[in-house]
Amino acid sequence: MNGSFATAWYFAALLFFIGLYCMAASRNLLRQLIGLEVMSKGTLLALIASGAMSNLSLAQAVIITMIVIEVVVVAAGLTLLVKAYRTNGGVDVWKLSSLKG
Amino acid sequence: MTISLLQYMLIPLFSALLIPFVARRRGKLAEIFANVTLLAGLINIGWTLLSPAVLASGFSVLAEDGFSLLMVLTIYLVGLCVSFFSASYGQGRGVNTAYFYPLLLVSVAAMCGVVTSTDFFTLYIFVEVLAVASFALITSDDGREGVEGAIKYYLLTFPASAAIMLGLAVMLLSAGTFSFDSIRIIVYSGASAPALVFSLSLLLLGFLVKSGVVPFHVWTPDAYQGAYAPVSAFLAGIVTKISGVYAVVRIAMFLRLFETGAFRLSEVLMFLGMVSIAVGAIAAMKQDDLKRMLAFSSVSQIGYIVLAAGLATPLAFIGAVFHLFNHATFKTVLFLNSASLEKAAGTRDMTRLGGMEHPMPWTSWTSVIAMLSTAGIPPLSGFWSKLIIIIALWDAGAVTYAVLALLFSALTLAYFLIMQRRIFFGKKSPAAETASEVSPALLAPAVLMSAVIVAAGLLFPYFFSYLAETIASRMVL
Repeated sequence: MNGSFATAWYFAALLFFIGLYCMAASRNLLRQLIGLEVMSKGTLLALIASGAMSNLSLAQAVIITMIVIEVVVVAAGLTLLVKAYRTNGGVDVWKLSSLKG
Repeated sequence: MTISLLQYMLIPLFSALLIPFVARRRGKLAEIFANVTLLAGLINIGWTLLSPAVLASGFSVLAEDGFSLLMVLTIYLVGLCVSFFSASYGQGRGVNTAYFYPLLLVSVAAMCGVVTSTDFFTLYIFVEVLAVASFALITSDDGREGVEGAIKYYLLTFPASAAIMLGLAVMLLSAGTFSFDSIRIIVYSGASAPALVFSLSLLLLGFLVKSGVVPFHVWTPDAYQGAYAPVSAFLAGIVTKISGVYAVVRIAMFLRLFETGAFRLSEVLMFLGMVSIAVGAIAAMKQDDLKRMLAFSSVSQIGYIVLAAGLATPLAFIGAVFHLFNHATFKTVLFLNSASLEKAAGTRDMTRLGGMEHPMPWTSWTSVIAMLSTAGIPPLSGFWSKLIIIIALWDAGAVTYAVLALLFSALTLAYFLIMQRRIFFGKKSPAAETASEVSPALLAPAVLMSAVIVAAGLLFPYFFSYLAETIASRMVL
């Protein structure tokens, strides 16, 4: 049990930082969204691992709700992506610089 | 969830579901529906807080958490002002009322959910609902700037959410529960729990990003500046305060109960608060765009709240909660006035405005009241909250912070006076020649909020006894 727990957290941390790197390194908004997804999958894995470890029935409800929330968040992100493509003609985040002060 | 406060969340949600069906043909119905819902909620919560029986008992009959009740009142107040304002503002701007008002009501419902939740998980869910609704609101005029602001908000908020989720995972492991009360008991029982401190610090990191404290403030000016004008008042006035600062204050209430480990965390919180005060005020000095300047001022005012929350004495919490309320009132007035100015003069650029007090006296006066309250001039409400925060800092021995907070308060006055002079006073600019005062429907929310600012300042003893009775005395187990 302990061994698998450590493995789960290892992969959770790995996924989290891969996602973070993907968000930091890419300029394309779609890739950044993918990075965000990878990152939140990592955190979900961490939640599942701690739910399995603590053996609480609360954990299942939490994880299912989290999955639903993620879907909504991704949908919101994709609509922003489409709107950005329509108004700016591209999805490069570095070109988003009309707001300055 | 606090069951007795559930109505404040469910009723706006229900109207939000109803509006798209009712108002498909006639957009006017959507406005009426939204305003009536929010007004009814405001009257209801106002009566709960201020009925004669409650006043006579010195607020001790209120069973619910005073922090939640005051925040519900603030949410409805700002929500009503914004929805009333956008009813007249939005005409001819291509905003679809059948979508705009439901989104506004959903975010009001989500905010009420945030403030009435009694565990971290529910709080997190409502914060996410609020975030998704506010992206749609920011882009509601389909402008290029709005989309840009929303994307920047999105790209910083959701990594922060990932940090919060990770914090929840660690909390599930170390405490086995998310409930505020259980965690308070676990902490109070003296079990030194490094894992619990770690999970709270992850949550704190996430919520600090969401509240836009320096160094995580990069999204705030862009989102506020880019958003559709009434929405930026909504965002700055209440949304980011509820989705970020409220949770920070809640978490700070636990940190104080820890014996040793979390003390460092409180100190970090105080430091970040002080840095935000400084950076926000200095950055606001040299902005030309009115909304961007107000956004930096917002960062600076959040700094005061976070500084007080980090100090975590009962007096500091009173100051923090009162400043949260005051910030909602004066920042809403200032942002609504910036929208009125944009409508009347056609620009927000302060270099092209000047002498606007002649055509727009009401806007000018409400802006003076709000700005003096922000800067902490007696007898307006902002003075009292800043005074409490500074006294609390001085009492706790944080003399350096107290002096710095006082100095930067003077800087706040400086940049607001510069703003007032550049926009309203002085010689008439070309923009002021052609501009005229906006309609009474657009002025009413700002005037109402200014009245609240003056009233909260003059009736400060009531406020203080409310906060002392319902928050400070119930905080300690």
